[in-house]
Amino acid sequence: MEKFDKMAKLRGDSLGIYLHVPFCSTTCDFCAFYQEAPRRQGIVEYLDGIDRELSLIEAPEKKVDTCFWGGGTPGLLPAGDLDRLCKAVVSKFGQPQHEWTVEMAPSSVRKDKLQALKDNGVTRISMGVQSWDDGLLESLGRLHTSKLARKALDLVQEVGFESINLDLIFAIPGQTAEQWRSDLSKTLSLGIDHISTYCLTFEEDTALYVKLSEGKVSIDTEKETAFYRVSWEETERAGFEQYEISNYAKKGHECLHNLNTWRMDEWIGVGPSAASQSELKRYSNPADLKNWLGDLKEGRRGLASEPEVLDAGILFEDCLIFGLRMNEGVNLDTLKNRFGRDLPESVKDSMEQLEGEGKLVKEGGKLRLTGEGRLVADAIGTELLGRFSD
Amino acid sequence: METENKRNFSIIAHVDHGKTTLSDRLLEHTQTVDTRVLTSQHLDSMDLERERGITIKSHPVTMNYKCKSGTVVQLNLMDTPGHVDFSYEVSRSLAACEGAVLLIDAAQGVEAQTVANAALAVSQDLDIIPVINKIDLPSANLELCLKQLEDILAIPAEDAILASGKSGIGIEDILEAVVSRVSKPRWNDCEQTRVLIFDSVYDAYRGAIIYIRCFSGEIKPGDGILMMSDHTRAEVKEVGVFSPHMVKTKSLRAGDVGYLVCNIKNVSEIKIGDTITNAMKPATEMLPGYQEVRPMVFSGIYPVESSDYEKLKAGLGKLQLNDAAFSYQSESSIALGFGFRCGFLGLLHMEIIQERIRREYDVEIISTYPSVVYRVEKADRETIEVDNPINLPDPSHIERILEPTIRATIHIPNEYVGDILNLIMDKRGVCHNTETLDGSRLMLECVVPLNEILIDFNDRLKSITRGYGSMDYELGDYVEAKLVRMDIMVNGDSVDAFSCIVHTDKARARGKELCERLAEIIPSHLFKIAVQAAIGGNIIARANVSAMRKDVTAKCYGGDISRKRKLLEKQKEGKRKMKNIGNVSIPPDAFIKVLKSD
Repeated sequence: MEKFDKMAKLRGDSLGIYLHVPFCSTTCDFCAFYQEAPRRQGIVEYLDGIDRELSLIEAPEKKVDTCFWGGGTPGLLPAGDLDRLCKAVVSKFGQPQHEWTVEMAPSSVRKDKLQALKDNGVTRISMGVQSWDDGLLESLGRLHTSKLARKALDLVQEVGFESINLDLIFAIPGQTAEQWRSDLSKTLSLGIDHISTYCLTFEEDTALYVKLSEGKVSIDTEKETAFYRVSWEETERAGFEQYEISNYAKKGHECLHNLNTWRMDEWIGVGPSAASQSELKRYSNPADLKNWLGDLKEGRRGLASEPEVLDAGILFEDCLIFGLRMNEGVNLDTLKNRFGRDLPESVKDSMEQLEGEGKLVKEGGKLRLTGEGRLVADAIGTELLGRFSD
Repeated sequence: METENKRNFSIIAHVDHGKTTLSDRLLEHTQTVDTRVLTSQHLDSMDLERERGITIKSHPVTMNYKCKSGTVVQLNLMDTPGHVDFSYEVSRSLAACEGAVLLIDAAQGVEAQTVANAALAVSQDLDIIPVINKIDLPSANLELCLKQLEDILAIPAEDAILASGKSGIGIEDILEAVVSRVSKPRWNDCEQTRVLIFDSVYDAYRGAIIYIRCFSGEIKPGDGILMMSDHTRAEVKEVGVFSPHMVKTKSLRAGDVGYLVCNIKNVSEIKIGDTITNAMKPATEMLPGYQEVRPMVFSGIYPVESSDYEKLKAGLGKLQLNDAAFSYQSESSIALGFGFRCGFLGLLHMEIIQERIRREYDVEIISTYPSVVYRVEKADRETIEVDNPINLPDPSHIERILEPTIRATIHIPNEYVGDILNLIMDKRGVCHNTETLDGSRLMLECVVPLNEILIDFNDRLKSITRGYGSMDYELGDYVEAKLVRMDIMVNGDSVDAFSCIVHTDKARARGKELCERLAEIIPSHLFKIAVQAAIGGNIIARANVSAMRKDVTAKCYGGDISRKRKLLEKQKEGKRKMKNIGNVSIPPDAFIKVLKSD
């Protein structure tokens, strides 16, 4: 019994469900997520596969707190399919208690889809607007125009959801600081309550990466830094609070599902390429519709690779490194209570140095990054990770 | 074969004047090597030699040539190394000959090494056959070459043979000239056996393979032999000739060139230039010209991965088996851990050894700032030799420091004289003689501290003169100089691998240069890094590495924590591969990059 309690403690409190919908009508130049071109046959197989996978998952003993549908473009599915998918998830896990997000692309938003989602209890719509500048949108390979995005948002607001998030991308080649400021202020004035701003990344296997390696575009760290700071200023001015590296929300509208991830609680991933962290294991589904289906047809959930077994050590490190991505930071007492350990001396030394350089603040039992620290969060993560193994 | 039908000769030339290609043509013409199996540059067997187009190890070869008169003559060709670092090897190869083919590139004309090699050949009493090579080049300037031959080398122009190694012009003329103009084997009237060692290589199965020229008597398997420099005794196991591969023979006699295998395993026990005699009937006098070879340039070599230490040690051991001029002994550095102090003949020799460790033994290495051997006279009158800046005594204990110099001969086109004199001055050198070679070229004779030419003197000479300048040098005297040790500190921690001994007048400039270069190479860290140069406790130069501005991945959701974590782990591993000085990570190649000039 005692052992069971300890396990439960390590695993954290909340449970999320992540559902991956791999279909996209086109591939954006910056996207490295797993996706498939939508064909009716493929969609039907996918929906059948989800049913099979859900039937193979053991019902969790915890109630589901949050649900998040990402992709791909979940909103690409027709209303009828969305309805079927919602019902399948709810009948398996029950109604998510606190939050249910579905990602949509402006080009595929339709009223009947939104209504189907709302009727099934979806509380939050997240839409990848990326920019309000049609020139930049085209350079990113996006299908929609700013006019279309505006129309899509009107529909979302008309149907009415508890929370609406818009994604924006900054430091796009050719983008000026003024363009970025205007993208932000326009977004923030539209009556939404959450905004995610992503610095354009050049990931392998993307069209942008190819352009980068061909020298057609370049990375400008100074520009990225300046634009990032502009995000802080504009969101604050509009009454939003930054709560993570890339996320800003009005009070009470933070994305709980993502907070749950950064706090190293549990989530179960459904659908091809979906990642799970559940019962002290970390694993991913095959990132390929065919392989994923093939395994399911044989009556098992296939895995992309051997699951990683989690212990107090790994989770402690991850809680610290990913926790520092959040503005609230990490509470060392909470960590000690959960994992039964303190920071190693080598990590403390490093933190003291970071404190001295104004990158980290320690208040009470809490550690958090300053703005300067947030700018180099990855380097800090690497540094701390290195110190753990010293 | 009768001794009088043997000829021993060498081909000498400035680097790149086509020596190896010409040798290949001679082998073809005498059918020593089948044209079909003749890879380009047959005699350069090391990959490195082929890549760099230079010969490091000399390879003798025996050819049988039926000359126009009908007599078959045995021609022994010594292909000598072409770089100043190996001038002693050149001199020993020449000592094994009676004649030399002096090769001059028709487009380049006489260069510094042409003169130096010709002088070397003359001093050994060799018969010189001048050959103007590459005459089929569009840029060939025959008239100038012939004039230089007379003016600079005092060789009659009508003696010159016109040739092209590439297209095979003049090959037969050269062979005929070797037969008719090169003297018959000398010193064969000595009653005892005298054999000159001019090189050696290591063979994993047979041990040291000694390259020899027999001057008098005979040497054969079973003979008890005596090395005359240190009275080492050994027994001959095998003798043979190169045609061009090793072929066993019953014996080697006066006038022959070939190889010898005895019960000596280590090449380091074989001294180039030594005389071998028969232990039963020993000669009383050595062949002339023997010198102990001593390394001139020292540098620390360290494995990047400390776990590679044993692998590096084994590699160095094997390299030394084959290269008696290379020495090493273990040392340790605070910055770099455990490694070796290595001695080299010169900078090229150093680069070659380093490259061979990387390639042949697959060990990533870091090398420290090269140093010459200083003589330090201490206050207590004791004199010590210092080849590692770390070992320089505290200044209060030093009476004076002497540094080695070189006597350099530099050939340049007239118009660059101002810039070259500035370069010499910049390198603390003194030019004491200037001579006009012909209408367009000058020869400068100067004395320059060896440590000043270590890094980039030759490169700068070449770049100032657009490749037309050339240099040759020999070692000069030790001279007193105002020298100090300069340390480089990274965030306050001294990095011993960068310590160097510099002249006080140049310390500030050199310190600034080192700091700035290092600051460029060290990647941005989370914090600002100060790179400082210091003498004693005084900071004399400083440069900064500014702190990293931004390093954060915006996107981190979808639950894929392990992907993100893997990314961080990868970066962590990258850091681990660097050398960590305090909390600063220095890329392993920084140590080499800092030393290279732009």
